[in-house]
Amino acid sequence: MLTLASKLKRDDGVKSGRSSNTAPESTRRVSIRDRLLVKEVAELEANLPSTCKVNFPDVNKLHYFQLTVTPDEGYYQGGKFQFEIDVPEAYNMVPPRVKCLTRIWHPNITETGEICLSLLREHSIDGTGWAPTRTLKDVVWGLNSLFTDLLNFDDPLNIEAAEHHLRDKEDFRTKVQDFIKRYGR
Amino acid sequence: MAEMDDADDLGLPPSHGGGSGSKSAGDKMFSLKKWNAVAMWSWDVECDTCAICRVQVMDACLRCQAENKQEDCVVVWGECNHSFHNCCMSLWVKQNNRCPLCQQDWVVQRIGK
Ligand SMILES: [Zn+2]
Ligand SMILES: [Zn+2]
Ligand SMILES: [Zn+2]
Repeated sequence: MLTLASKLKRDDGVKSGRSSNTAPESTRRVSIRDRLLVKEVAELEANLPSTCKVNFPDVNKLHYFQLTVTPDEGYYQGGKFQFEIDVPEAYNMVPPRVKCLTRIWHPNITETGEICLSLLREHSIDGTGWAPTRTLKDVVWGLNSLFTDLLNFDDPLNIEAAEHHLRDKEDFRTKVQDFIKRYGR
Repeated sequence: MAEMDDADDLGLPPSHGGGSGSKSAGDKMFSLKKWNAVAMWSWDVECDTCAICRVQVMDACLRCQAENKQEDCVVVWGECNHSFHNCCMSLWVKQNNRCPLCQQDWVVQRIGK
């Protein structure tokens, strides 16, 4: 049941919402994306995995940031991998666009930085693709998991890397570490 | 559903008699001129937030608030019993005709306030 206190609080919210709508057109043209991002960025920063860091080069552009993942276990331990996350204007009807900036030998990331992560897929036939119920926190946790739980050799984007792993796990590990030495520190 | 505007009229009714006032009986300190009884019913709407725009479904969606169209914003219920703002859901079904919460095919059960 609604209590009076919560009702008044809601009423306050509505009132302040209204007053902001009387502001001049130019100042109240805040996009839906940016309104969503204010909350999502706060939620993300409060729940960042210990292996992740985010950097917003322009604090006025919450839709563009970099993520650094430093895995603490598995094949990619010791590496430092940079991602660029760009949230399009049509967010949250469409997923953020993500690119890996660090060259990497990984079954789900190409050497040019394309990423295969189901939740970033705009159109999916099953229920695993993007949905507007997801948030930046899910995206970052998903990217972080590409180095652990979501590392997937069975449905690869970089087929050569997946076959390499299948053929010779130790040689695969050596190549991963070699890439880290050259590009990912 | 009670309208937000009634909130100002909500308050404690004046206490009857009592008190050790020195005023004479006919000279009441205040009288009750208007009493708006507000009945409310709900299915735990307080946590019923639209999972798409993250505003409560009983309030206007983020888009309608931004465009000052609060009055036109209605709620849609699917057969899966999930509810969203109709504005939010009609944008999403253009992309994918599934409930974003339970992934079932989206079939509208009803639209309203
Ligand atoms: Zn909504
Ligand atoms: Zn609306
Ligand atoms: Zn549902």
